[in-house]
Amino acid sequence: MSKSRGRSAIVGIGEVPTGRFPETSAIAFAVESARQAILDAGIGKDDIDVVIPTGSLFSNQFSNELATCRLVEELGLRNVRRNFQVFSGGSSSSNALQVAGAMIAAGEASHVLFVHTDKLGTGVTAQGGIDLFSTAGISAEWEVPFGQHYSTVAALATTRYKHETGCTDEMLSAVCVSNRKWAELNPHAFFRKPLTIDEVMASKMLATPLRAKQSNMLFDGGGAFVVTSAERARDLTDKPAFVLGEGGAVTHFAYSQEPDLTRFGWAQAARQAFEQAGVTPADIDVAEIYDSYPIYQIIGLEECGLYPRGEAGPAVLRGDTWPDGRLPTTTDGGMLSKGHIGAGGSVSLMIEAARQVMGKAGGRQVPNCRFAIETATGGTYMDAQVTILGNEIP
Amino acid sequence: MQANPGTPAPPAKPRPVVNPWSRPFWEGTRQGKLLIQKCGACGHHVFYPRLSCPDCFAEDLAWVQSSGRGTVYSHTVVMSNAPSAFAADVPYVVAVIRLDEGVQMLSNVVDCDPEHLACDMPVEVVFEKLDDEFTLPKFRPVRP
Repeated sequence: MSKSRGRSAIVGIGEVPTGRFPETSAIAFAVESARQAILDAGIGKDDIDVVIPTGSLFSNQFSNELATCRLVEELGLRNVRRNFQVFSGGSSSSNALQVAGAMIAAGEASHVLFVHTDKLGTGVTAQGGIDLFSTAGISAEWEVPFGQHYSTVAALATTRYKHETGCTDEMLSAVCVSNRKWAELNPHAFFRKPLTIDEVMASKMLATPLRAKQSNMLFDGGGAFVVTSAERARDLTDKPAFVLGEGGAVTHFAYSQEPDLTRFGWAQAARQAFEQAGVTPADIDVAEIYDSYPIYQIIGLEECGLYPRGEAGPAVLRGDTWPDGRLPTTTDGGMLSKGHIGAGGSVSLMIEAARQVMGKAGGRQVPNCRFAIETATGGTYMDAQVTILGNEIP
Repeated sequence: MQANPGTPAPPAKPRPVVNPWSRPFWEGTRQGKLLIQKCGACGHHVFYPRLSCPDCFAEDLAWVQSSGRGTVYSHTVVMSNAPSAFAADVPYVVAVIRLDEGVQMLSNVVDCDPEHLACDMPVEVVFEKLDDEFTLPKFRPVRP
């Protein structure tokens, strides 16, 4: 058995709703989420000995405040030995979870608090958001001068994937519908009105074949989780979210340097994660798949081994991933319907994966959920991070 | 990411932020040449320019002129919600080009009806002057 399997667990989660809150400061989202997570864990605030805030994209100055211990002071945490950022864009939560687990296993930490907050919904203008994401994570020498931005990035993968597999616009639109059905059940989601495939297909064309309703939108929000050792987790709760497996693959910086825009590094990362976890794709009860655009959810489902190549699109179209479907997927509504909050896109998914295996998902709880897979990626899909959580250690 | 209407006046086009070791590339495009690197140790072609070979780590990288020919690996036509500096260019084509030498680069496909864009279509380099210092390599369909 892998020595890393189940060495640590998420025992507390906290989250504020995703939305537009111009009157609320970013630190408020962080403080509220962190406080909830500590209380949810059933520990005292002074049990926290390591704090890992991630980066906030809307403001470098604010991000620096998080790096320089603002959260520790705001929360009044008195026994913190280290506060440092782990930031890798959209994969920050995966990397922070691994760092936390490794520190706990090494005896260097007992209770680690990870926190994310951002204000991309009201802290920047809409065009400012587009312009931010025409430079953030995009090569200033080799891609920015050609008008690359996140719509083109997603569209380039979509075009090639459609070319190679025969995936249709209906299948891609069905991802948006699936995630919306879950968001309807999530009070923290921004978009909660029912959505149809026809509405998605009729929305404005951004960058062929990508349409407006196939694009995430940017919002304010925040989330937090507490990580501790498996032994301590068992003392705190009957149903912790044990960290069973973690796999990662860094594939590129400049998007044009990715050798396969229809696969990325997911297969390698997923193999590592499943091997470490001691489970197989058939054991997975819920899949929290990174969904900034529909193409990535489809590729993620396939490359992680949950569907054969070319078969995730038809599966989403026939309702496999919907509530009551065969493989509930991205059950908080994801970036497409809950809303994109920067590095928090997959912080949300990590929290939702933990929430489901901890049995705390309320009206959208997947029955008898034992094992969850969560995927995350930063930059222009520069890395593939796969995490498997479970409420038992196989 | 999506935008609302009411965008401000477009800023100037972004200019490449150049690394010291890629200066010969930009000197080449000014002269109408597409230069890439070739590793003297392992023989790999290299783009974008590196200080050492990304395959074998040798420093023995020489500049060679690319054929300028390749294929479209993938493509998209930007129709709306472009970055401010590119709003006036809509519709424009962004594509990943696979050069015949085996390296990939991002560029724009020009002189092409968007309807005729296709994965794997053959293209050839053309040079578009951005300003006195920079000329960008772009690609157009190879005419039969």
